[in-house]
Amino acid sequence: MSWLRISLAAIAATVALPVSAQTVTITTAGGDYGNAIKEAMWAPAAKELGYDVREETQSDGLAALKMQVTSGAVSTDIIHLGSPEGAQAAAQSLLEPLDYKIIDPKSVPDGAKSDYCYPFDSYGTVMSWNTKTYGENPPKTWAEFWDVAKFPGRRALRANAQDLIEIALLSDGVAPADVYPVLSTPEGLDRAIKRLEAIKPNVSVWWTSGAQSAQLLKDGEADLLVTWNGRAQTVKADGGTVDYTFKGSVIGTDCLAVPKGAPNKEAAMKLIAAMTQPARVAKLTDFIAYGPVNPAGYEGGLIPKDRLKTLATAPENAGTSVFSNAGWWVKNGEVAQKAFDEMMNR
Amino acid sequence: MTVLADPALAADARRERRFFLSLSLPALFIVGLAAILPILWIIRQSFLTTAGEYTVGNYEKVLSSGLTWSALVTTLELSLATLAICILLGTPLALALASARPRVANLLMAFVMLPLWTSILVRTYGWLVLLRRDGLINSALTGSGLTAEPLPLVYNFTGTLIGMVHYMLPLFLLPVYAAMRDIDANLVRASASMGATLGQTIRTVILPLSAGGIFSGSIIVFIYTIGFFITPAVLGGGKVNPLSTRIERTLSTFQDWGSASVLGILLLILMALVGMMFLAARRLIAGHKVDTAHA
Repeated sequence: MSWLRISLAAIAATVALPVSAQTVTITTAGGDYGNAIKEAMWAPAAKELGYDVREETQSDGLAALKMQVTSGAVSTDIIHLGSPEGAQAAAQSLLEPLDYKIIDPKSVPDGAKSDYCYPFDSYGTVMSWNTKTYGENPPKTWAEFWDVAKFPGRRALRANAQDLIEIALLSDGVAPADVYPVLSTPEGLDRAIKRLEAIKPNVSVWWTSGAQSAQLLKDGEADLLVTWNGRAQTVKADGGTVDYTFKGSVIGTDCLAVPKGAPNKEAAMKLIAAMTQPARVAKLTDFIAYGPVNPAGYEGGLIPKDRLKTLATAPENAGTSVFSNAGWWVKNGEVAQKAFDEMMNR
Repeated sequence: MTVLADPALAADARRERRFFLSLSLPALFIVGLAAILPILWIIRQSFLTTAGEYTVGNYEKVLSSGLTWSALVTTLELSLATLAICILLGTPLALALASARPRVANLLMAFVMLPLWTSILVRTYGWLVLLRRDGLINSALTGSGLTAEPLPLVYNFTGTLIGMVHYMLPLFLLPVYAAMRDIDANLVRASASMGATLGQTIRTVILPLSAGGIFSGSIIVFIYTIGFFITPAVLGGGKVNPLSTRIERTLSTFQDWGSASVLGILLLILMALVGMMFLAARRLIAGHKVDTAHA
């Protein structure tokens, strides 16, 4: 009966463990990305705080969060979401407000601030082109991307209003800081849609997945694309005749939030503060090309110089970009997508 | 129905009918579980708001949207064009297969069936490799100087149509081939011996006798194409948007299950209408045939 005694001891040990240490459960998307977040961010932070962190993975974080909160069985303390989903969850009161007495409020630039979901890393929606077509003289701004006389070639855009609405306004001479103020006026959305309609005859493909956009770039099916920096970087690194620029990119962020009614709320806030320390979000770029949102992550050589070029939020790439405003999309997303679809079908 | 004089025989016949009916119960059960129940669920879903209250708002929203109607037009254009090409290409092919020597016919049939055994995704992406700007076909065309510029063969209606016809042709061919093979060769010989030209024989003997097969093939092709998703999604490049891609978008971009259900029901009604039209047309032709036979 020794096996019984051993398993009883094992059960006793697992039951006893939580008593000796504060437990926190974190839910991420898993995979390479989830693993990167673990290795660079929460594992070292948990060690420092003496927490016992349990990891759960969910491919659809918002759906899982909604189920846990509405059924009253919240098992996770921290959840990893895309910022638009974070804003959506906040609007449906599924999240606890962030405790900015524990988390440093100055660690987030103004454009990216959120009361409910702490943005920690970022990616850019960028302009990318075929270097065989444009050689040393590619378009440099969105206005030039729209200039089909000066830069003839086939365009490919994502079949989704997100980011494209912002880019359309940038191409029309709107300054990055004015994009959302303009979009919040009644004519703003119309102006963006008209601009997209103008480029439409030169759009050879409306792509639907990041992988498809990479394929279009690689095959030379399109000369000029709007895509995500990670995709363009992968094609470039694989030797594709491709380049891209962060100038005028629309920056999206991923964020960390505490579900409403989380069992270990305060510990969760402390873990979020610790795992997003500049050195840790900088370390994340060792694993994946998603740069810190916190400007301090770029200071003191925390990130090697040659890698900075590949990150959307690196200081040398900042200034011309727009932070995607999750709040605007939660409020206006449906109207914008519908106007976009109608433009596509005209 | 023949009237059976012997009551014992009639009882036997009844028992037999009941036995055959009971054999189909497992199939009926599966159909009920896998088709009827989900449809009922979709109908219920179409009357619910996101908060779970009853409403007709989803119907108002979908039916008043121009997007729905343009998707409907695209669906019909794509289905009719696919069907027309299938009939034009498939009928002569079936005739060739039916009149070929058995060994040749079997070999040709294998070539026809081969695509059916290949995954639809593989085939669709295969067309992408062939049709794209740097693809095999365009490389051959520009390489040989036949065209100066690569032709726009994919990421548009043309590419979608090519992919659809490729998928549907075998489905059309099979019933047509079966019908043509069953035509009594003596009828063809008789028509020839009475001085009919080949064209006249085809028009007056072969086509009327294989009309049933052509109809079956047409129904299969049309019903399939109406709800087809992968081919327009991959080869259409965002420019060919039938009801199926509209449903996907309503779910993925808008998370609007109610409206997506309404679109699904619309698709179902469209299929039912088309199916009924085909059946009515078939009865009309069959009646016409009987009439001429009597005359």
